[in-house]
Amino acid sequence: MKNPEFVWSTILAVAVTLVIAFWGHTDPATKVKLALSYAGLVLLFLFGFLILAAIASGKIDISLLLAESGGGASMSRFQLLIFTFVIGLSFFLIVVSTGKFPDPIPSGVVTLLGVSASTYGVSKGIQATGMASKGPPNPNGQAQGNGQGHDGDHP
Amino acid sequence: MNSLVKLASWAGLVLFGGFFSVVLWKLLTGGISLSYLLDGDVRDPNSPDGSGFSTSPSAGRAQTLAVTLFVAGWYLLQVIHNPRQFPHLPNALVGSLAGSQILYLGGKAHSMLFGKPGE
Repeated sequence: MKNPEFVWSTILAVAVTLVIAFWGHTDPATKVKLALSYAGLVLLFLFGFLILAAIASGKIDISLLLAESGGGASMSRFQLLIFTFVIGLSFFLIVVSTGKFPDPIPSGVVTLLGVSASTYGVSKGIQATGMASKGPPNPNGQAQGNGQGHDGDHP
Repeated sequence: MNSLVKLASWAGLVLFGGFFSVVLWKLLTGGISLSYLLDGDVRDPNSPDGSGFSTSPSAGRAQTLAVTLFVAGWYLLQVIHNPRQFPHLPNALVGSLAGSQILYLGGKAHSMLFGKPGE
């Protein structure tokens, strides 16, 4: 078994469902609702926690999260990361405060993520165009694209 | 149902806080590299490695970083002050962010296709 943690998480979620389904004296419809909600929460939390633990321990490597193929950090990726965390934290705070999911999704959220994602896309396009149109080798006669820094870094 | 909501809030806090902390920790300790974040590629036929490009500090990247951090900080502060609703983004702020991105992309396109301005 390659990932026993995931199997155990699923088993635990099913166990929680069964315990809630057979526990208490509420009406059957509420029991089903509660059982499914708790199971979903347990499953989601454990899956998330396993991924978090794997990232923290280095089993899932995120060292190249902001890097491009050449090794330099990407400004547009960094920007997307910042806005993702800001929007994520905002959603969390608002859902906890109001007790419901915001509907519809506000245009400000779409704008922030849209601007940074578009920048990333356009930046990659510029990078690809620039690389494709680069000139002949320099007079020293060295080969192009030695794979050490200018084959797609810094978008 | 009340305990379910409380449990979900704590689960969300642990997961979100955990992911945020891990990424922040790796950024601070160098686990996620930020090297050359403010350096851009410039077309340079005489580049020492023969790739046709060299890197140099980019003002466009610096201003993009500053504007991004400002907008993100402003947005987060608004949410913390009033966590009942999403803040309204003023047009001036959206315009500044968009302008900053256009400036960055324009500078990048120019330096990648034509080299440094003025050369």
